[in-house]
Amino acid sequence: MRNPLGWAALTLFSLLFFAFIYAPLFVIVGYSFNANPVNMMIWEGFTLDWYTGLFGLTERSMDANSRAAYIESTDQMLAALRNSLFVAVFTTTIATVMGTATAIALARFRFRGRRLYDGFLMLPMMMPDIVLGIGLLIFFVTLGMQLSLLTIIIGHCTFLTSYVFIIVQARMAGLDPALEEASADLGASEWVTLRKVLLPQLAPGIMGGALLAFVISMDDLVITYFVSGTGDTTLPVFIFGMIRRGVKPEINAIATLLILASVAIAALGLWLRSRKTD
Amino acid sequence: MRRQSVILGLLLGPVTLFLGVFFLLPLLIIALFSVLTPGLYGGVEWAFYHWNYGRVFGWADGITEIYEPVYLSILFRSLGFAAMTVGICLLLCYPVAFWVSRLPQRWRLVFLFLITLPFFSSLIVRLYAWLLILKPSGLLNGVLMATGLVEAPLEILYTPAAVVLGMVYVMIPFMFLPLYGAIDNLDRAQVEASLDLGATRVQTFVKVMLPQTLPGIMGGAVIVFIPSVGNFIVPDVLGGAKGLMIGNLVEQQFLSARNWPFGAALSMIIMSVVLVVLLTAVTRARKRSDTR
Amino acid sequence: MTALLEIRGARREFVTPEGGRLAALDGVDLDVGANEFVTLLGPSGCGKTTLLRAVSGFETLDGGTIRLDGADIAALPPFRRPVNTVFQSYALFGHMTVARNVGYALEVQGVPRATYEAEVAAALEKVGLSGLGGRKPSQLSGGQRQRVALARAIIAKPRLLLLDEPLSALDRNLRQQMQIELKALQHRLGIAFVFVTHDQEEALTMSDRIVVMRAGRIEQIGTPRDIYRQPKNRFVAEFIGETNLFPVLVERIEGATALARTDAGVVLAIPAEGRRAGERVTAILRPTDLALAGEGIRGTVTRAVYLGADLHLFVQPAAGGPEISVTTRDVASLPATGETVHLAHDPARVHLLAEA
Repeated sequence: MRNPLGWAALTLFSLLFFAFIYAPLFVIVGYSFNANPVNMMIWEGFTLDWYTGLFGLTERSMDANSRAAYIESTDQMLAALRNSLFVAVFTTTIATVMGTATAIALARFRFRGRRLYDGFLMLPMMMPDIVLGIGLLIFFVTLGMQLSLLTIIIGHCTFLTSYVFIIVQARMAGLDPALEEASADLGASEWVTLRKVLLPQLAPGIMGGALLAFVISMDDLVITYFVSGTGDTTLPVFIFGMIRRGVKPEINAIATLLILASVAIAALGLWLRSRKTD
Repeated sequence: MRRQSVILGLLLGPVTLFLGVFFLLPLLIIALFSVLTPGLYGGVEWAFYHWNYGRVFGWADGITEIYEPVYLSILFRSLGFAAMTVGICLLLCYPVAFWVSRLPQRWRLVFLFLITLPFFSSLIVRLYAWLLILKPSGLLNGVLMATGLVEAPLEILYTPAAVVLGMVYVMIPFMFLPLYGAIDNLDRAQVEASLDLGATRVQTFVKVMLPQTLPGIMGGAVIVFIPSVGNFIVPDVLGGAKGLMIGNLVEQQFLSARNWPFGAALSMIIMSVVLVVLLTAVTRARKRSDTR
Repeated sequence: MTALLEIRGARREFVTPEGGRLAALDGVDLDVGANEFVTLLGPSGCGKTTLLRAVSGFETLDGGTIRLDGADIAALPPFRRPVNTVFQSYALFGHMTVARNVGYALEVQGVPRATYEAEVAAALEKVGLSGLGGRKPSQLSGGQRQRVALARAIIAKPRLLLLDEPLSALDRNLRQQMQIELKALQHRLGIAFVFVTHDQEEALTMSDRIVVMRAGRIEQIGTPRDIYRQPKNRFVAEFIGETNLFPVLVERIEGATALARTDAGVVLAIPAEGRRAGERVTAILRPTDLALAGEGIRGTVTRAVYLGADLHLFVQPAAGGPEISVTTRDVASLPATGETVHLAHDPARVHLLAEA
């Protein structure tokens, strides 16, 4: 493709494309430092108030009532963050164990209906989340199960197991089956082979799958929206509610912190992937 | 071998049980609820009732339930929005994926990282950013008015255009990665051979590149289309008006109208659309790989 | 003497993708002695690898028995069999050091630390890799990886070592060197080796006995010399080394030799013992058994291939029929392409097959 003009046009288009992707994120970061408390669209100078406010450190002129309301909503947000982390940690653990076990089973055993099972595991991932969300809602309510963090964890595990499965399966496919045979040949039982050969070899895939499950669980809005009880919201649902009710400047600070966290996680993922190739 | 079946059972048993109970059963329950009678105060009565579908497709009796053509038009609008999202994503991503694939290794990795990064950042935060930009008093109008391009703020937020823009924005990574995979896999020598044999760049694109990257295009299209059809977050945040897409309609049935059977029927419609799209894509892909 | 390994009537069928059945092993009987070097030789798909994997425990037989030291091992899982394998891909554990790879069998047995370390050092020494224990397999050359795989397989002192085409990934020089080392190692360890290969030269170099297989059956078992000089059938003759096959009619007996003629008219002298006139047999002559001479089979040189010490000629017999291939020493007066030559042979070197 040695057409300098064409290449230049393509480069310009691509750079605009990346600007389109990143501009909104920078907009949030910018606004998060805007001191104007009434209209966040009008720049009124630099402040860190919204960040310090998130952690209840701000000394702003407020009457006692609004101060109490303010602290309450901050507490709610921190509680939502805690809930999100709690759900994500448990979901990641369960989904990673189940997804890995399935990937190993489907790669190493030949049984009737194996291909069907393989296709079945794609379904939770391809099912629109709203369908899965309301299905679980009706199911839990019909069964008389209280909506809680547990129902959120269950909801997340149904589709995140598939994500982990796909990633570990890809790693599994690149693995020489002779490795496990060599281990068995040298006297290791299935359990020892799993511990000493299979899991260490699969580790990058398992870590990658777990990371993805964690990120998606932290970010899931739709399924959580339907199966969370009134008291147990997660951070995305909390932010969604805030946007619906009308935004307060703190949301920019929260959003900026979330963007930073995602950059950190993505960098971690990249680092894990680069380590895999040694 | 007994031992092997025990191990297989240990590996697959828990997953099978879990997905059977918490995935298959809920889907069956949706199907069941979609043909039950809505109760007076938000509950259900366990009696067969086909008018949940009748309300949408036109055989409602006009007394207990009324046929509302608006439901069908909402369904078609959702399909249309999803199709537009797919089309725009494709048009944006294909040239860029090609550009990235032709960069030196170092830069290729940088831009691939940049494309996956938004995937790791919160969806709701990214939508919220567009809210800030598109608002009548938002950044975009501020810039347009300051430069004198427009005199009054443009009404972009809460329009279908804003919804499609938002969906394109959140779906871009899902389109980009399969496309990039297909384009990067393409043997560069084939493109050179085509040019060498006298084909123009356009001919080479149409006759060599497009057919060979078709699996990536199809994959990306399916992955973008499916979550777009049933989406209710984007129309809720950027679309404003209620009942813009079928996902909003479902959500209302469950959280405000409290007509669960009707909501279940609408979900069944979304699910059938998705299954049709998936099955078509899979059989097409099989056929393609068989003829090779 | 009872054999270390006794295989009787081994059968194994696979279902092909088209739904048909394919016998990978179709009634195989084989004995391997306590410190014998036995090679399973055959083209790909002949069942040699399936047979090996049935012994190591990775394939289950549909019929037949496998006994090791007189005990049936069919029901034992691979990790309970006193048999170790050197894999074709080496199957070294990439996440472990060379030393941990080599010591793996002892590690999973829970051998005490001191013994473990001494044994690992000894095994590395045996294969000439002392000092490389701390490396990762990815930091080794192909030949070194091969040695690690070998050390790892012998550390638990198996009764029987199985080698699945272990040299196929090495280049020619290294392969020849490893052939000699493997044979020496087997001698030193005093354990039985069962070696799978499709390379007949490899089989001839190393084996005490060669088992030639085709389509799930054993065609012939014998010493390398037997297999080379006295193949039982055309398949074995053609698979092992280069061969000239002459389907002939025995014309008359003259004392210890008989005269035989191909349909095209090439006349050969063959051993007379057991022959009678009018009989159809196939005569086998290796290229090295023919020599350029003043008389014999007359023909024209069609192609000459220079091999260094030897010269390989293809000669079209004047009488007709397929070309004859001849290997001769590189001597001063070499025939050129198109030149007429005569090929002589010693009747005693002719091997006969009853099949025509």
